[in-house]
Amino acid sequence: MNDPIRRLAYGILTIFAVLAVVATYTQAVAGPEYRDDPRNVRLAAFRTGRERGAIVTADGTVVAVSQPDPDDPRSFRRSYPHRDLYGHVVGYTSVLFSSTGLEKERARDLVSNRGSTISGVLDVVFGRDIGPRGLRLTIEHELQAAAAEALGDQRGAIVALDPATGAVLAMVSSPGFDPNTVIGRGAGSAGVALEQDPDRPLVDRAIEEVYPPGSTFKVITTAAALESGVAGPSASFPDRLEQTLPGSTATIRNFDRGRCGEGTEVTLADAFVRSCNTVFAALGMQVGAERLVTTAEAFGFNEEIPFDLPVVAARIPEAASFSDDPAATAQNAIGQRDVVATPMQMALVAAAVANDGTAMVPYVVDTVFTSDGRVEERTEPVPWRRAVSPATAAVLAELMERTVISGTARRAAVPGVRIAGKTGTAEVTGGAPHAWFIGFAPLDPEPGRRQIAVAVVVESGGVAGESASGGSVAAPIAADLFREFLGLPG
Amino acid sequence: MTRNLEAALIVAASVIAGLGVAIVEFAGGSWLDAQVALTLITFLAAFGGLHMAIRTWSPSADPLLLPVTAFLTGVGFIEVYRIDPRLANVQRWSLLVAAGVGAWVSYVLRSEGVAVLRRYRYLFLAGAVVLLVLPLLPSSWPLHGATVNGSRLWVRLNLPGLDRALSFQPGEVAKVLLAIFLASYLADRAPAMSVVDRSIGRLRLPEPRYLAPVAIAAGAAFLVLIYQRDLGASLLIFALFIVMLYAATGRAVYLGVGAVLVIVGGVVGYLSFGHVQRRVAGWLHPFADYTDTGYQVAQGLFALGSGSLTGAGLGLGRPDAIPAATTDYIFAAIGEELGLAGTIAVIAAFVLLVTIGFGIALRSRDRFRKFLATGLTALLGIQTALILAGVLRILPVTGITLPFLSYGGSSLLASMTTVVLLARISHEERT
Repeated sequence: MNDPIRRLAYGILTIFAVLAVVATYTQAVAGPEYRDDPRNVRLAAFRTGRERGAIVTADGTVVAVSQPDPDDPRSFRRSYPHRDLYGHVVGYTSVLFSSTGLEKERARDLVSNRGSTISGVLDVVFGRDIGPRGLRLTIEHELQAAAAEALGDQRGAIVALDPATGAVLAMVSSPGFDPNTVIGRGAGSAGVALEQDPDRPLVDRAIEEVYPPGSTFKVITTAAALESGVAGPSASFPDRLEQTLPGSTATIRNFDRGRCGEGTEVTLADAFVRSCNTVFAALGMQVGAERLVTTAEAFGFNEEIPFDLPVVAARIPEAASFSDDPAATAQNAIGQRDVVATPMQMALVAAAVANDGTAMVPYVVDTVFTSDGRVEERTEPVPWRRAVSPATAAVLAELMERTVISGTARRAAVPGVRIAGKTGTAEVTGGAPHAWFIGFAPLDPEPGRRQIAVAVVVESGGVAGESASGGSVAAPIAADLFREFLGLPG
Repeated sequence: MTRNLEAALIVAASVIAGLGVAIVEFAGGSWLDAQVALTLITFLAAFGGLHMAIRTWSPSADPLLLPVTAFLTGVGFIEVYRIDPRLANVQRWSLLVAAGVGAWVSYVLRSEGVAVLRRYRYLFLAGAVVLLVLPLLPSSWPLHGATVNGSRLWVRLNLPGLDRALSFQPGEVAKVLLAIFLASYLADRAPAMSVVDRSIGRLRLPEPRYLAPVAIAAGAAFLVLIYQRDLGASLLIFALFIVMLYAATGRAVYLGVGAVLVIVGGVVGYLSFGHVQRRVAGWLHPFADYTDTGYQVAQGLFALGSGSLTGAGLGLGRPDAIPAATTDYIFAAIGEELGLAGTIAVIAAFVLLVTIGFGIALRSRDRFRKFLATGLTALLGIQTALILAGVLRILPVTGITLPFLSYGGSSLLASMTTVVLLARISHEERT
């Protein structure tokens, strides 16, 4: 009578063996496939629900923080108290729109280490800190706010660096966006609206957008001439109404369509101060494609800038592609045609001039600190590349100072402060020009005092539109930044 | 001596339950709190009480039954607590009630043993039938049936002064009563039923009137299927009949006829009920209609796959994303947070329980006790296998609870009674 019961037992136990095998297959063999299925909300939802470390500015202003979710005590809610002021730098982590900014690039630091791993458990047992790490930025809140205010509703970007260290003091892209809207309720429609906005608010124009640098590129052309000995500041050029371009019917005229100086001759220094295209077209052709490209690359063109966030490389074509095309060389020499750069790149050009010709590696994360406030990692300033010799840098600084004193960058001036600057008005086919300013202040810092190097770009002339120039639109914004940085009243 | 081992293992299982709740709390960002102590106390009270009842009235019972039960109940409780602490608070009371009923059963059987059950078999049959019919009571009555997820399985009792209805799934208990009835009936009739007196070709059949029980089983199961529209419960009841007939007679023909009828019933159910069709569609192609019919199955697979070998950790997964995570899909929730380690541990505990149960049946000298142990163990094993097969996508999901682990008082009460009866039978074999 026991035989059927025994067979029954074997039957049921066999079924359990099959269940164990299928469970093993489902979890261990096919598991990763299910886990990584895009329809599996677990990973993303889990990521956003975890506690993330705080992000604070250099002065301690909290710009990103995780707080317990009132609806679900097991998870956290991220919030960005300053809304769009730090939207691009800090970014967000979203289930629907993945991650951007430091929230993405520094996720490894920011995400809580509290987990189920054995080492995590051991850390708890031994009382080690398992909370998420926080980030202290190099950005200064007041300066950031001043930059955003100065830019206003105009499309464009501002990058301000400490030339001696490469620390980012302010970084603004306009229009901005409020990361809170992309992660909270109604994130779907808000995110789609941002993605479809023709003004592309999600793009960080400071590092992800390239513009023709226009006349700000003349700093590099001048550097090429100085470094190679082709021409010095006092070198004399014919003061033409327009510069003809060999092999081309096009000509290059000055911004105001007039002559550069009084009449027949003009020095390179005066041409720099007045930003004369005719002279720089001629100079560019003298310098030649080879040296122009070499110098631009010495400043960082055609290379990805090492930074805490991905930066689009500034571009100048290979020398070989235009070395026998003087027209292209002339146009590239004045920052038009095929030359494009990010505001970050042009800020580094100004910073290199300020820092005796050496560009530092830019960085925006100053320290990584533990949840109990201990500094775990500190970014040390590192030279990135020697753009020009100290002697060349000194000459360039002097030319740029004269440009602010009596040239196109007069509106960047702040009384009582020695400021160096260069404007640019980049022609765009079928639209208003982009207004540029790059420069730094003070020229002669007291010992122990920092400098600030800035790049300002206002897209399509901003509110000034067709009549905009770098001197009228971008330079006053830089003046605001200089005053804020130096603590001088507006 | 064995009783002390049992006590020690019960304490260990209770500590596991308390620790699990502590880990859930910790993962949620808080530290030790009253929930941990409350869980520990509940488990010690429930299983300690049962232990004392067994120690007093069935002192020779198998010492592993209660600890394995406590372990499984603990794992289920931790996961229910993790998904919804409010449900866990209800489950705590259910556990105490189930343990109380278990102790009471143990007390009732103290002198005459399970033999007393054999005498009242028609009472149990009537009780089972009444319980199965209860959900059909019209909704306007104070005691009334209720339809949940397309199946009319529930009975609710509205009491004055109580802000919400007491809910009960009578089918869970009916299964145990039916097992008692069948064991008693077959203990008397089996010898006659196993006599072969006619054959059609190679197929040898018992006398037609002894096939009547199969017809009754099929009829009862079909009635449950049609009126309550529940594939799982009817399949379970039918399987109980077939398995016990086979165990009692040794005639494989019952299994064959049973299998054919299960297939027929499945086809009829598929053709008749939309919710059965949806479950079959979700089973065959969970990702084809991911947002609708396949959603639960797909979420279960995502959970199991995300859990991988060691799991996300208690409180660190997203089992709340799985529909019915505290009941039918508790196994997937455990798989997500405790990984393959957790699911294999659960399967191993059930294997242990089933092995002990069949061991008791095999050692039983008395036919009734043998059949009863067989029926109860098979019921537990088949119910577990059916729902696990559903979650693991071997079969369509049948919508039954995982014994001991799923949230739900009726299921826990039935499973606990099963264990107490098995313990009592094992005691009687050793005295």
